[in-house]
Amino acid sequence: MPTHESDVCIIGGGISSAMLARKLANLRPGTTITIVEAGRSIFDFEKRAVYRDRALVYGEHPWRNDYREDQMAQGFISMTMAVGGLALHWGGACNRFSEEDLRLKSMYGIAADWALSWDELERYYVEAERALNVAGEPSAYAEDRRSAPYPQPAVPLSYNLQVLKGWAEQSGLKFNALPLARNLTPFDGRGACCVYDTCDICPTGARYSPDFTFRQLIERKQIVLHDRTLVRRLVLDDRRPTVAAAQGVHQDRPGEAQEYRARLFVVASGYCWSPHLLLLSANTRFPNGIANSSGLVGRYMTGHAFVEARVTIDEQTWPGQHRVHSLISREHFRCPTDKPFVRHDTRVWEDTTGREPRLRDDQGRLLLGDEVFDDWRARTKGSSVRLRTYLDVHPSADSRLTLNQASKNRYGDPMPRVEHRFDAPTTARLAANKQHVRDLFSRMARASNGKVVSTFDGDYLDHPAGGCRMGTDPATSVCDSYGRTHDHENLYVVGAPTLPTGGCTNGTLTFVALTLRSADRIAQTLPRA
Amino acid sequence: MRRRTLLHALAATVPLLPLTRVRLAAQVRAFTPETVAVLRDVAATVLPVSLGADKVSLIVDRFLVWGRDYEEGIALAHGYGDPKLVTSGPSPVPDYVAQLAAIDAAARGRGGRFATLPLETRRTILSDALAAAKVTDLPGRPTGRHVVADLMAFYFRSSEANDLAYRARIGRQLCRTLELTTRRPAPMA
Repeated sequence: MPTHESDVCIIGGGISSAMLARKLANLRPGTTITIVEAGRSIFDFEKRAVYRDRALVYGEHPWRNDYREDQMAQGFISMTMAVGGLALHWGGACNRFSEEDLRLKSMYGIAADWALSWDELERYYVEAERALNVAGEPSAYAEDRRSAPYPQPAVPLSYNLQVLKGWAEQSGLKFNALPLARNLTPFDGRGACCVYDTCDICPTGARYSPDFTFRQLIERKQIVLHDRTLVRRLVLDDRRPTVAAAQGVHQDRPGEAQEYRARLFVVASGYCWSPHLLLLSANTRFPNGIANSSGLVGRYMTGHAFVEARVTIDEQTWPGQHRVHSLISREHFRCPTDKPFVRHDTRVWEDTTGREPRLRDDQGRLLLGDEVFDDWRARTKGSSVRLRTYLDVHPSADSRLTLNQASKNRYGDPMPRVEHRFDAPTTARLAANKQHVRDLFSRMARASNGKVVSTFDGDYLDHPAGGCRMGTDPATSVCDSYGRTHDHENLYVVGAPTLPTGGCTNGTLTFVALTLRSADRIAQTLPRA
Repeated sequence: MRRRTLLHALAATVPLLPLTRVRLAAQVRAFTPETVAVLRDVAATVLPVSLGADKVSLIVDRFLVWGRDYEEGIALAHGYGDPKLVTSGPSPVPDYVAQLAAIDAAARGRGGRFATLPLETRRTILSDALAAAKVTDLPGRPTGRHVVADLMAFYFRSSEANDLAYRARIGRQLCRTLELTTRRPAPMA
């Protein structure tokens, strides 16, 4: 069996892996780092414009072959499995959580506190924002104190968003430009934003994606990347409860197992594939999977419920100016402790609902030629607005990722099945929380003679996380706040899986901040060059 | 000749040929000169006259390139939520060719070449064709269901059409400076 040795073996090649590898390489030069990723490398930046254009006119996925057909999960959020992970096509939203997220139990008597302080996390938010070159502005809310400014000013509000901000703030909420990991000027080998408005694939690289980081690390010989190699098992030392090796298989050599031996292993495979690997690695000494003496690997799977609406208002906007940029209000990040619990962000986008070209008029008559324009222009007065909130909902222990014996990959490994369940307090309040949001949307609409045209509740949990939650008690958590598993001193889990709860806004910045904190701790265990 | 009629004729003359092979033989993989001519006639009706004939012709040329460059079996956008792997289907061009032949046949059945018919007659022919194809609204992009809807989507979903509808230089999804987006779009000249 081919064996590859390094100081650190990172399993998974997404944003957490990229941030961890870069920081370790900088903190401990000379440390050998191997990254093993099941998907392929898509290092063809020069073709992005072509892929983008084809995505627009043919509906093709702009990240070709970023999946493995037999490596799919039931109930997961994205099938992307490639070097760069889901952050290949994220929007770049870099919202911070708030202090309440870390103190739900002590403040409200619900869910769980996180095993670190807000001040400590805040330091790493600053570092994460610098690493991702986030463009943002000071929050309109004094509670959102920062110890350092954003590295870039906010992505400017389009004229449309300026108009919508004036409208939305009549509701009493205050709004800011959404913080974004997007270059306003060239930075770190990536170009500046020129508003292609397709952030799922950015032809200039202005929106951060981890492929850039991996390429840099490879070129500098700071990491070795083994892509298209699926790690199937972590193997423990015969005598000690430490991980001795990760065993995988390359896509082109299915009959030849690859073994990765390292001083330290980091599982950085996201909320789905991280707990999955730990469960798959069950052995006679750890029959429930490794790092799972608590029985909590694959439990407390979390994320956001969301409510969305389309609203029409009188103010005039010009759809297409900057569709992917948005406003955020953090008004409801805070909830008084003597009031019913409800926390959510509030987001505002330009929209075209009801203001698009159509084939037939209201009488069903086919429109031809300039008639299409005439009909379209008659409906361009005023604006449609898209509103969304991410609600703070909390998982029960039965919110689970399990091994689905009915679905196996080519090697016979059962694939994950993710089934989200809320805890009892969340279930009890959810209808009222959603009504609160709908009332808010109505209030916002009324401020401009507007009306809510439609609302819908998301049918999945967005920004998923959890499955290896952090904590101080090995009986009620999988790892400590640095991601080190309670059961195996040389095994870490980083990023999304470690979150006990998912907050009420996009999670990626938090995943990165926690990972950078883990990197500091991991570096302490590595010898200096 | 309508595609179905052609199939029927082939089946009658080569009765022992398996049906699947007949279908393959019947499929025209590219636009023929005759169907391109019909497409241009249709385009003159469904695209805005206000664009001018040269512009309409250019849009048809681009649409033909779109059909030529279509790739089969490519994974379509798989977003967030409940992702499923869906790949692009067969090229729509053979269906387009058949649909254009059908439009031509319908026009000739009503008295002549499509372009020479009264507007309401042309509207009826196209409306019937779209209804038969179960096209109820303008697709977000060409989908292969019907050539008329796809040609219209190809143009009316474009950034250029958006600008003309709003009579403003918005430049949706075109490379622009951030600063430009901060201002109210300039009116079209």
